[in-house]
Amino acid sequence: MPTIEIKNLSKTYRVYQKQEGLLASIRGLFHREYREVHAVNDINLTVEEGEFVAFLGPNGAGKTTTLKLLSGVINPDQGSVKVLGHVPWERENEYRRKFALVMGQKNQLWWDLPAMESFRLNQHIYCVPKDEFERTRDELCEMLNVTSLLGRPVRELSLGERMKMELIAALIHKPDVLFLDEPTIGLDVVAQHKIQEFLKAYQQEQNNTILLTSHYMKDIEALCKRVVIIAHGSIYHDGSLEDIVDQFSGDKIVTLQLHDDRSLEAISKIPNLIEIDAPKIKFRVDRDGVGRVLSQILSEHAVDDIVVEDPPLEEVISNVFSQAEEKNRREVETLPNS
Amino acid sequence: MAWAGMNWGLFKIIYRHTGEIGLDSGWHEHEFFIFLGTIWIINSLIQTLFMANAAEFSELIRTGNLDFALLKPIDTQFLISFPRINWSQLPNGILGVMLIAHSLSELMQEREIYFSVFSLPAFLFFIGCGAVVMYSVMICLASTSIWFGRNQNLYNFWFYITNFYRYPMEIYQRSGVGMALWGTFTFVVPILVVSNIPARILAQPLGTPWKPWEWGLAAYAIIGSIWSLMASRWVFKRALKSYRSASS
Repeated sequence: MPTIEIKNLSKTYRVYQKQEGLLASIRGLFHREYREVHAVNDINLTVEEGEFVAFLGPNGAGKTTTLKLLSGVINPDQGSVKVLGHVPWERENEYRRKFALVMGQKNQLWWDLPAMESFRLNQHIYCVPKDEFERTRDELCEMLNVTSLLGRPVRELSLGERMKMELIAALIHKPDVLFLDEPTIGLDVVAQHKIQEFLKAYQQEQNNTILLTSHYMKDIEALCKRVVIIAHGSIYHDGSLEDIVDQFSGDKIVTLQLHDDRSLEAISKIPNLIEIDAPKIKFRVDRDGVGRVLSQILSEHAVDDIVVEDPPLEEVISNVFSQAEEKNRREVETLPNS
Repeated sequence: MAWAGMNWGLFKIIYRHTGEIGLDSGWHEHEFFIFLGTIWIINSLIQTLFMANAAEFSELIRTGNLDFALLKPIDTQFLISFPRINWSQLPNGILGVMLIAHSLSELMQEREIYFSVFSLPAFLFFIGCGAVVMYSVMICLASTSIWFGRNQNLYNFWFYITNFYRYPMEIYQRSGVGMALWGTFTFVVPILVVSNIPARILAQPLGTPWKPWEWGLAAYAIIGSIWSLMASRWVFKRALKSYRSASS
């Protein structure tokens, strides 16, 4: 049985459209205009035990709404979901003991008290035996290197330290399923890297199922083999990271280190030039033409070094989002006027 | 405490002009101050235990932080009802106890008051019923924040509603509008019953033994408490279904 099974899941919000000004506010008392926002639109998805899946999409794509539906925080308009055999929005305690949701933009620790107090509260709420609680807490604190911060009020912690504490609070009951909503947002690269390392090690050790949303491609590259791209509430692509690069990036980036300036001048006329930083030159080549172009250059010029690489993941994903946006625009245009 | 003092002073002035509120109702000065002390105790309990939490609940809804309460494997209504205790509201309850003790001793010098071993437990039990009903009203009011997005008027609503339960129910029984209010706050939202019954146990405005309708009202106070709690639970769960969280 899959750990997460989503069938035809939809969630639509009715959003009040308020016009500017006092008169519009008064008019709004008598006649209100609403717009329907299809936050999640007929999603189907299956996630197996132990998978680490990235949920990617532009802002407002429906990633967080999907995680909230899977956590049972909100109820859907239609469709069915089973997580570990439970329907999330029935909010059974048995289910709520098996998963955790961490939101990078929200704080669930007591602001004025040390994180230790929140951990202790979670211990009692999740009925974790004292020995197990202390063992898990110490292990997690050691992994994240925050043992010395346990007694410090949460409001006095840095953003990175606070996020580490948030993760510990969420993991104190050893959830089978973990929903992470932008856990590295706003963190510096060092803190981001630490959290990536921790999540990777933790997932390998516990073999739990993790759904991660993030706008940092480094997170995705470091952690997830499978990527689900969601746009306008619908799943646009579901596959491996390599698949996405192959499918959505038609080019390779070639960097040559040339032996002399004459070669540099000759090759600089090549189409799709990215940059020249003598003696290096960087350009794009169609995937299928890499071999042909390189053999031609090598036959005519002396080259000291060659690097052929995929475009940066950010660029590929940005292309995917643009394509998804374009597809949605066309679909909206072809809709009959009702 | 200043409010309690003004409240007491106001009724002290009123009783300079009249001996009784309501004709043959039995609510003379000492009986009424026992009633007033009872109200202070119930109010103090609500404001100490629930008021700040209910206001916080509205804020949790507005900011979307209710998400985290919904994730916890514990009853959500319990979790949002008791996170903190506002000790600063407790002195009004203590003043209520003192006012009752003083008024009762004065009353006992005037006439005979019947007490049994059940009187105090019964008084406390019906105070508890009162707290349950008022808590239920508060949860219903706070739950509306889920539909309205925000509810900054919780304290105002609370003030309007509690205005009706601060007086003996006899004052409503003289006119059509009064009877409508009496019926609404007795049978629909039974706040009148739960303030009147515990006060009647101690003050005995119509003497002893209790009249049959007083016994009926006491039984209805228990039923009303259970019904209020069930209704608030229904409203709370119903509201949660409409919860839409907030953007992150």
